[in-house]
Amino acid sequence: MAERSGAGTARDLDRVLADLRALSEDIESCAVLSGDGDLISSSHGPGVDRERVGAILAALVNLAGRVARESGKGRISQLRIDTGGGHLLLVRLDGGGVLAATTGPEARVGLVLYDMRNSRGEVEKVLAEGSDR
Amino acid sequence: MKKLLRRLFLLGALAGAVFAVRGYLQGRSPGKETVQIVFDDGSVRSLASNTTEGQEFTDIARKLVEAGL
Repeated sequence: MAERSGAGTARDLDRVLADLRALSEDIESCAVLSGDGDLISSSHGPGVDRERVGAILAALVNLAGRVARESGKGRISQLRIDTGGGHLLLVRLDGGGVLAATTGPEARVGLVLYDMRNSRGEVEKVLAEGSDR
Repeated sequence: MKKLLRRLFLLGALAGAVFAVRGYLQGRSPGKETVQIVFDDGSVRSLASNTTEGQEFTDIARKLVEAGL
């Protein structure tokens, strides 16, 4: 669960992610990556290498940023990748962070993205409150 | 015996031809669009699985889907 930030922020982020998973049953795992590329909170199971997951997620965000620059666009707001074995979904947060989620191959991806966009405000609020503490 | 060998040879040639045609057709197919990027301005860009960029995204994403976040 959450590591960085204050204990209150960590708890609040864990709660927001738990609410999101409860709301969207197709989500298998989800996480919040800060604008600095740190994995702030995640729903990972035991045995998952958090540093590795954070680094891979940061690499993906950097790749998306590169594509945005090359396309002459400002920033990405949403990313959806079908790997065949499941989906990886990203929603951009204020401050450059991302809310990420993985689903199975048969997930209703549009609905999951809708729920993620609805939870984005809550995540941003918790992060903003955490930086004020 | 000679007849059997001839049949085996023909069977092998047929299997090879099927494999080659399948590979050719797969290589020429346009590729499924696997990556969808939405930008701040609302525009959307899709990348197919048979492009270098699309492959980069799916390779990284596959690790995360398999490991979990």
